[in-house]
Amino acid sequence: MSAEVWEVTWFTMGVAALSTLLILPFGLLLAWLLARRDWPGKSVVETLVALPLVMPPVATGLLLLKLLGRRGPLGGWLEAHPGWEIIFTWRGVVAATAVMSFPLLVRTARVAFEGVNPRLEQVARTLGAGPWRVFATVTLPLAARGLVAGALLAFARALGEFGATIMVAGFIPGKTATLALSIYHLVQLGRDDEALALLAVSVAIAFGAVWASEWFLRRKKT
Amino acid sequence: MKVELSGLRLTLTNFTLEVDAVLTGRVAAVFGASGAGKTSLLEIIAGLRRPVTGAVHVGDTVLTDAGTRTFVPVERRAVGYVPQDGALFPHLSVRQNLTYGSHPQQSAPSGLTFEHVVGVLEIAALTDRGISTLSGGEKQRVALGRALLAAPRLLLLDEPLAGLDAPLRERLLPYFIRVRDEFSIPMIYVTHSPDEVMALCDEVLLLERGRVGYQGAPAAIFVPATGKRYMLARS
Amino acid sequence: MKLRVYLIGMAVLALRFGCALPAADLNVLAAASLSDALKEIAKTYEPASGDKLLLNLAASSTLARQIKEGAPADVFFSADEAKMDDLAKSGLLAADTRLSLLSNTLVIVVGSEGGAVITTPADLAKPAVGRIALAEPQTVPAGIYAKEYLQKAGLWKQIIDKIVPTENVRACLAAVESGNVDAGIVYKTDVLISKKVKIGYEVAIADGPKISYPLAVLKASKNAEAARRFAAYLASAEARAVFAKYGFLPAP
Repeated sequence: MSAEVWEVTWFTMGVAALSTLLILPFGLLLAWLLARRDWPGKSVVETLVALPLVMPPVATGLLLLKLLGRRGPLGGWLEAHPGWEIIFTWRGVVAATAVMSFPLLVRTARVAFEGVNPRLEQVARTLGAGPWRVFATVTLPLAARGLVAGALLAFARALGEFGATIMVAGFIPGKTATLALSIYHLVQLGRDDEALALLAVSVAIAFGAVWASEWFLRRKKT
Repeated sequence: MKVELSGLRLTLTNFTLEVDAVLTGRVAAVFGASGAGKTSLLEIIAGLRRPVTGAVHVGDTVLTDAGTRTFVPVERRAVGYVPQDGALFPHLSVRQNLTYGSHPQQSAPSGLTFEHVVGVLEIAALTDRGISTLSGGEKQRVALGRALLAAPRLLLLDEPLAGLDAPLRERLLPYFIRVRDEFSIPMIYVTHSPDEVMALCDEVLLLERGRVGYQGAPAAIFVPATGKRYMLARS
Repeated sequence: MKLRVYLIGMAVLALRFGCALPAADLNVLAAASLSDALKEIAKTYEPASGDKLLLNLAASSTLARQIKEGAPADVFFSADEAKMDDLAKSGLLAADTRLSLLSNTLVIVVGSEGGAVITTPADLAKPAVGRIALAEPQTVPAGIYAKEYLQKAGLWKQIIDKIVPTENVRACLAAVESGNVDAGIVYKTDVLISKKVKIGYEVAIADGPKISYPLAVLKASKNAEAARRFAAYLASAEARAVFAKYGFLPAP
């Protein structure tokens, strides 16, 4: 593999990993709330979370662009702080991939939490454990497999993100060049052979990530 | 120790649970057919459910009072709860399960030390095993031990022998009797078996579709049936 | 009986209407910068000729690639000669239909409200100008021209880190309009249709690269006659007047 292919690969894996780490805390919290609590407007939240999964990625990207662009409600505030611009930077890649992979994490994690028998949590509380201790010593360990699977799935999705990324970050060689964007760019230039090399790397990584995710989901508790 | 259930009301699927009773025995039975509301009543006492109206007092302590909006969180009630299937933590060993609720400075005078409880329940040999390797009867004993080791002021048992076959039930009942005699922790024992009531309990609360049908001495409502068995007298 | 009458009736109607209008649907693949001018030309041409113009407006590089891969195309109107040469080499052009028709000027633009101030090309190298949008400088004509100019002006190396490549020249314009970049290089004809950017500096023809827009009919066209008719119309005085109105210059 050439140096450029390595660079693009590492960059892609790096932003995907960062994006997954960023969505983990809020994603797990939301998944737990959806699994264990009811509140008025819950179905609205569920639908909103599912939107990036169903909307065309470029549409989601457009929304983000309007929100985070210099004239957007959030973007204006961000631009005032140097080093915090999102659009056309690697931060934009992280933002786009985070939004696109968030629903996958939440769905998988929610199922993992729902799979923990609530009776166990209740008994733990009668034994004197407060809600945080119950979460840390009962819920989390028992849901761990599903949560890891969810994180891996989110990671895999982040690796392959294109539509929203190209809207928010564009393709800037050396700055926002992910595997997916690079493949598109090379094809536009007519350099199909190089694109195929990137394609092979994409397939290999995605295969590995999804395989690992399925493995975690498949392992039955003994 | 008195357990006062005053004016409790809770709407369930098919009927309303309405209980007004004071339990004073060492072991009070809550007896009724399936779906009579027995588990819901236990959940209210444990703090896992809130009644629409009414109050729960254990001794001098108010645990729940819908009127004054008092509600002691579950983890501070010191009310032990052994659900129907034991609900042992599958990811922890037997020892870890047993000690989950206990504090290092356990008061020895109450007799609730690890060694003593494990001895009474005869589960010493199991302590380093995984939960999945236990038989049904062993699981129930471990669940009971776990609840005891948290030093509760009241112990709730939801049909602990229901899922077991007759010979096993006969073998396990003595352990409950032993627990009753060794440790002075009041118990509320839910069951639909008259034999268990007669063997273990000082008083019985009869629940029929959410309502208290009878409260008092078990002998008053259970009569001998064939063999060594008891049955509910037709009133 | 009734069914047969119905079917015959339908056939008669089909023949009558099918034969009355020998209309062609022409696939016209044209550079993005020609969008507005061509749309106006189409408004006159379609009713007059009876043909329908399906305008595919994108970067010339994208269009050339589509043609090479066999996308249906009747007329190709490119923003640089290189793309046309490429198709000619692959034998895809209909003989004797190639014609260099138009030219254009490059301008450096900034957002019309606030933003960077640019009065000379060297201002692009200033720290205040953080991001500069260009149509992809490796493939899109507008970007290739811009790069050529910047190299000639000795600015390319200084600003190369600030470049945000876009898919075509209109996307470049949109980026400047949105405020997400500080400046961009587009054609003068693009600025004239935009209200949200203003010209910072206009590249004099002598200083800029040679910009040439060639036009040709494609050999694989299924409506060769109608295509030639349209190509001829584009070279007519009427059409040239429309192009001039939008700021295009005649071919160099």
